[in-house]
Amino acid sequence: MRSILRPLLPLALTAAASGQLKESPLTTKAKPTIYDSVVKIECATQVPDYRTPWNSGRFSGGRGTGFLIGPNQFLTNAHVVSDARRLLITRRGSAQKHVARIKHIAHDCDLALLELEYFAPFEDLKPIEIGGMPQLESEVSTIGYPVGGDRLSVTRGVVSRIDFSSYSHSRADSHLVIQVDAAINPGNSGGPVIQDGKLAGVAFQGRTDADNVGYIIPTPVVKRFLEDIKDDEYNHYMDIGLSTFPLFNPAMRKAYKLSDDAKGILVANVVPEGPCDKVIEKGDVLLKIDGNEIDSAGNIRIGGEFVDMNEIVERKFAGDKVKLTILRGGETKDVEITLNEFPYSSIYSIRYDEQPRFTFYGGLVFQPLNFNLYASYSFDDRRLRQIYNDFISKGLFKEIEDIVVLTRVESDRLTTRMGGFTGMVVEKVNDTKIKNLKHLHEILNAPNPPEFHVIEFNGGARPLIVPSAEAAEAQKRIMQQVGISKASRLEK
Amino acid sequence: MKFLIFTLLTALPLLGAPSDSLVRINSTLQSYKASQPWEKNSPKKRQGLGTLLSGNRVLTTAAMAADAIYLELESADSSRRVPARLSAIDYKTNLALLVPINGADFLKDLKFAEVSSPVKIGDDLEFYQLEDNGDSLSTSGTIRKMDLLSTFVSSGGYLSYQVKASMQTAGNSFTLPAYHNNKLAGVLTSYNSKDQICDVISADIISAFLKDAADGNYLGFPSLGAGFSTTEDEHFRAWLKLPREAGGIYINRVLPGGSGDSAGMKKGDVILTIDGNAINRQGYYQHKKYGSLYWPHLVGGSRVIGEEISIGLLRDGKPLDLKVTLKKAPDPLLPLHRYDNAPPFLIKGGLVFQELSRPYLLAFGKEWASRGPLNLLDVMANPSDYEEGRNRVVVLTRVVPTEATIGYDRISNQIIEKVNGKPVADLPTLAKALATTPENGIHEIETDQTPYKLYLDQGLSDQVDTQFKARGLPSLSRLYEPKAK
Repeated sequence: MRSILRPLLPLALTAAASGQLKESPLTTKAKPTIYDSVVKIECATQVPDYRTPWNSGRFSGGRGTGFLIGPNQFLTNAHVVSDARRLLITRRGSAQKHVARIKHIAHDCDLALLELEYFAPFEDLKPIEIGGMPQLESEVSTIGYPVGGDRLSVTRGVVSRIDFSSYSHSRADSHLVIQVDAAINPGNSGGPVIQDGKLAGVAFQGRTDADNVGYIIPTPVVKRFLEDIKDDEYNHYMDIGLSTFPLFNPAMRKAYKLSDDAKGILVANVVPEGPCDKVIEKGDVLLKIDGNEIDSAGNIRIGGEFVDMNEIVERKFAGDKVKLTILRGGETKDVEITLNEFPYSSIYSIRYDEQPRFTFYGGLVFQPLNFNLYASYSFDDRRLRQIYNDFISKGLFKEIEDIVVLTRVESDRLTTRMGGFTGMVVEKVNDTKIKNLKHLHEILNAPNPPEFHVIEFNGGARPLIVPSAEAAEAQKRIMQQVGISKASRLEK
Repeated sequence: MKFLIFTLLTALPLLGAPSDSLVRINSTLQSYKASQPWEKNSPKKRQGLGTLLSGNRVLTTAAMAADAIYLELESADSSRRVPARLSAIDYKTNLALLVPINGADFLKDLKFAEVSSPVKIGDDLEFYQLEDNGDSLSTSGTIRKMDLLSTFVSSGGYLSYQVKASMQTAGNSFTLPAYHNNKLAGVLTSYNSKDQICDVISADIISAFLKDAADGNYLGFPSLGAGFSTTEDEHFRAWLKLPREAGGIYINRVLPGGSGDSAGMKKGDVILTIDGNAINRQGYYQHKKYGSLYWPHLVGGSRVIGEEISIGLLRDGKPLDLKVTLKKAPDPLLPLHRYDNAPPFLIKGGLVFQELSRPYLLAFGKEWASRGPLNLLDVMANPSDYEEGRNRVVVLTRVVPTEATIGYDRISNQIIEKVNGKPVADLPTLAKALATTPENGIHEIETDQTPYKLYLDQGLSDQVDTQFKARGLPSLSRLYEPKAK
């Protein structure tokens, strides 16, 4: 599975001859063409409101493009079909809408695979073959259903840059990206970018600060996605769980017993419970990754190209191993780590397709902190910001799976003096450290509660006191007043 | 005999009309740069008014004199000027006393003002201003309210008057004297032209300040050294077992080494009374003359250092009496201000170390509370989490690119934990550690951020330091004697 991704690295800057769009199936008339394999996707969405987590959320919708890559397999962007309630696919030149559903969705690389309930009407179409990396300055065509009309649109552009860059859909991920000088407009998303009749990438994002710049997901990323879902489950990109620091400083090099010409990068931090935990230590120097020498800035050379050492991990899957050569206390050592999913890091990604968790108790709304919540409220509590920031790097998740925040205090005679605690992180309730939302929910709703629940906040001046009998009595009243249909949602 | 009396009277100014005690003050203020503490910002000029008091002392606000590099008194008609020196300053109450240097000639036509006995709500005050030609101009207003205000360095606040008056704009209107029955009854610190409300430091506070400063050894106002929360929340009260009729303020933090701490006050205590005055749920008590006043006046505003007060507490639901001998507020982990104190710093091989202070954080601009570095803001929000083993929080504020700091250029605002394995309590500790040559010639500096450990070559950094001096850096450190804890 690794070999598939080999082309990812060196291709970028070693273009030999520019590939012209040759006579292609694009122009054939009688039989279905490559154009016909490009479909319009309409998505009705329901986006949850993290400020009122019990509500249904906002009903909305959008349009994008998708294309056939195999029998009843339509590829598109994850952001085209995120938070979908209903998906419809329309064939070129047809008015009939066909109901589709998501087979796999990868928010970290903005790709999704859809399937139709009844594929029969599309059976005559030829799947678009997945090609390699286009060369710099070569021409590509973007096909899709962007704004400005109902019919298929084709634009041509030139590959102007190949880079490792951020994927805005999740906000937290970066992968390989191709920049083309053709604008990618709303509606183009998920459409194929074609070179020599084969897929060169998937159109996915543009820029607001520049004209005529579009970004496409290159085929190595597409192939990795398709490889990952072969076991019928998408497992997310892997993270090595290390932070590094370049070893440029001579004193630092001396301290780590590196010779003047030695390469290697310093391990500044190891994510607790990450793949490197207990294998790699702070202060180790990484010398090699899978046999490739790492330089002082963390670059490796594969096939003559200089790339970030993370490229090795980018190509791998859950359960794959990575060989590392390290220098510890002046001695070289070979170690092996096993990559695995690390769910806690999702606290920094935008979440889709899930309902916000919360618990409502006596007028108080508690929610676990994640990016969506962070973006919905403007939290200014410094301790909350510090905890959010250190959650992974300092291993806070080992003690607190959820950063539980008091987000709202609903008006009622019970809560009239309870303001002033919103936006703070719950640390303890009745002297028990809160591990996650469910834990808090269970303590507050225990069958034989103490007279007062004592809620202590991280960095709080005083505890918040909730009389348990009155809170139980007020629960229904406040839910009715505020229009809260559901007292808690503890699972996603 | 007659002759003798006559000379005495001409040599010393006499009591007269308020305008006879008015002097102009011209001050030049200059503070240090937050990012490069070895340099000063450009000087600022400030003009204001002062009042001549007995003993040739001129009373004005601390804002007029804090960070002053040159102070000058000028006669009302601008005909005479004389340099002055600072005799006493209190940043929390915003008061300062200046004394003219060789001022006999300058003072000859002036008269002393006398400080008024305390005034009350409803009394009229006359504010004095000076026109450019030296004519004085007075505006009167009525005291509407008494409140505890903090007008310069943030503090719990000190007794002030709120006066409704319609002031006019005139030159030198920074700090104006307020009179009642021809006696000095306050100093105006700010005027809100929209609401026409003046904030005036009270005669009570001015008297206490002058009394303290009289012997030339200014001590300052005492403080309880505790943080508190109000007890309006009924559920909180029930949990604290506070009786319905009682008020009370909840102590949420006791500063180590403060008056409260020394007397055995604990976090979780509820103060019910101070010297027999019942404190209500919001922290107010009934003053016999001034009406409802905020409780800190019972400690900081009406008592002096060394006096004993009695505090009625509720601890774990039971009453407890505490005798508290009043002290100055303990030295906080984060200094509130750096006025008239050059900020300490240390440069080693290009690494710039400073002690974290409030002014350092404020220098991050208007939105410092959200823009400033998170780790440093957390120290400010939760200082007690950083107090152990520290007198101050030492921060690697920036890295000047040098041969010794290659690869460190992007590092800034990291909290220093240890140097060569030893905890860093303050800047002098760090300076001492960095002055000792480690075994392998390389210093190990542990911080709170990536890469957590920095290394500095002793020999190379010494060379760099020599270069710095050659390139015009006046000094590579400014240190003070660490305070014994």
